Amino acid sequence: MKRSLQAGLLVLCGLGLLHVSLFTDLCLRYVKEGMRPLLIASGVVLLLLGVAGALLDRGQGAGDGHGHDHSGVPRVAWLLLLPALSLLFYAPPALGAYTAARQPAKAVVHDSDFGPLPRSSPLPMTLSDFTSRVRQDRGQAVKGRTVRMTGFVTPGDGGSWELTRIILNCCAADAQSVKVRVYGGAALPADTWVTVTGTWHPGGTLGTGSAAVALDARTVTKVPRPTNGYQDALPLG
Amino acid sequence: MAGGDGDPVAGHKDDHVAAVEAGAEPPRYWPLLLVGAAVVPGALLFFLGRWGDAPAVEAWRTVCLAVVVQALPFLLLGTALSGAINAFVPEGVFQRLLPRRAVLAVPVAGVAGVVLPGCECASVPVAGSLISRGVTPAAAFAFLLSAPAVNPVVLTATAIAFPGNPAMVLARLLASLATAVVMGWLWLRFGRAEWLRPVVRHTGHREGNSRLDEFRRGFQHDFLHAGGFLVLGAIAAATFNVAVPRSVLDTFAAAPWLSVLFLAGLAVLLAVCSEADAFLAASLTGFPPVARLAFMVVGPMVDLKLVALQAGTFGRAFAVRFSAATVVVAVACSALIGGVLL
Repeated sequence: MKRSLQAGLLVLCGLGLLHVSLFTDLCLRYVKEGMRPLLIASGVVLLLLGVAGALLDRGQGAGDGHGHDHSGVPRVAWLLLLPALSLLFYAPPALGAYTAARQPAKAVVHDSDFGPLPRSSPLPMTLSDFTSRVRQDRGQAVKGRTVRMTGFVTPGDGGSWELTRIILNCCAADAQSVKVRVYGGAALPADTWVTVTGTWHPGGTLGTGSAAVALDARTVTKVPRPTNGYQDALPLG
Repeated sequence: MAGGDGDPVAGHKDDHVAAVEAGAEPPRYWPLLLVGAAVVPGALLFFLGRWGDAPAVEAWRTVCLAVVVQALPFLLLGTALSGAINAFVPEGVFQRLLPRRAVLAVPVAGVAGVVLPGCECASVPVAGSLISRGVTPAAAFAFLLSAPAVNPVVLTATAIAFPGNPAMVLARLLASLATAVVMGWLWLRFGRAEWLRPVVRHTGHREGNSRLDEFRRGFQHDFLHAGGFLVLGAIAAATFNVAVPRSVLDTFAAAPWLSVLFLAGLAVLLAVCSEADAFLAASLTGFPPVARLAFMVVGPMVDLKLVALQAGTFGRAFAVRFSAATVVVAVACSALIGGVLL
């Protein structure tokens, strides 16, 4: 691998990282927000390394008589071209209904200390909150309340679908999903982002593990996809 | 689209026959060849694009890219560190720091893994440069195995993932250290130098060369080299990640022994970063604690992207033997320590 090509490859990798982290929000499709400073720093380092290589090693071929042999970069390094070009020109979308449909729902964190719910109606909630209220709150505070949640559509069978959020711990390789089954409302295509208001769909005993994590939808409205889709946030507005 | 695709090919054949019949008139044949040359790659790209936008392939591309993007900063840190060790640390420093007897150097190096904050991608190039700086391979391997599992960042993540369960953090620390040290000793006893690719590229600082320039070249070389293998590993990991649905897991949760082996195998295939694997382990609620411990002990030491990285740095003969042995030792250590503590 020629030195000029090595430098070019480094510059492309650096530009790819900067493109997704500094100039756009694309990196949020793959990793968590907290990684962004590290990605920007890595992009800058790679860019500098590439530029320095191009300037300082100009006119030197591979395996010049430099004394020690750093030139033997194997061809496998070309594989770096794939992520670099993909980041620059062909960035895949965030994970969605396809992944969520093939996973069991994320286990709820055990919680026994539930305070009273705020008075507002409809009550904005996260999907995780709703799940743990339904499954674990012995006080049944969610009973009869109208709640509002935002997520994307995962089509189901038998007239219902699942309001879904995908949550990352580190990167998209460890994605987990929270799901609330929704009854009623129009059948929307997969991966549509919606805000749903509705009440708990009775099934099992509320406040125990037997309770159905489900909602009878009153309204379903389309909303734009949030910038950072990989978190279980409250609905906007 | 299919019709549009078929036409030029059919026309091309007719024209070819006509050209042969006419005897000496090849020029008529060329424009169609040109048209074919223009249409075929376009159609290929179109179908590749269609295929690339299928949900499964999109998920695969996303996971693949996510593994690379997540690992790159840590790989960069590791290769920068290895370049710096090579260019700036004088010969003999590590020998002075480590006990002279290799048997004692192994546990010391294992405990020293605490100082490298980061995940497993950083530790491979660093271990490679340690060997080239004269550290006995057994000690460097103990460091390689323990560093991603016992550093404060990873242990904190484990404590957060298992709230109110400090025994799990302790078990992870002890089982990882034990595996690293045992593997180091095993290498002392059974390891052969010829399995290792001769480490010739790092020669350390040489008189007359600028140290900064040596650092830059070493850094660049190591990054490109390891980066290529990282992409290879990410491709393999993403394939398993997408091809094996999570719901398959539950079928293995029942039998305790089977579940330990199964989660250990899963850790190898999924190649989750060591800073995140505790959260994933915590979510595998159907499995017994010992199996989840095995998942967290094996994961940072052996997985698809690590095997690829090790094959690149130390050679394939080494990576295969070493990884296989490590899985066995790690499973045994987690079963023993987990059985006592959990």
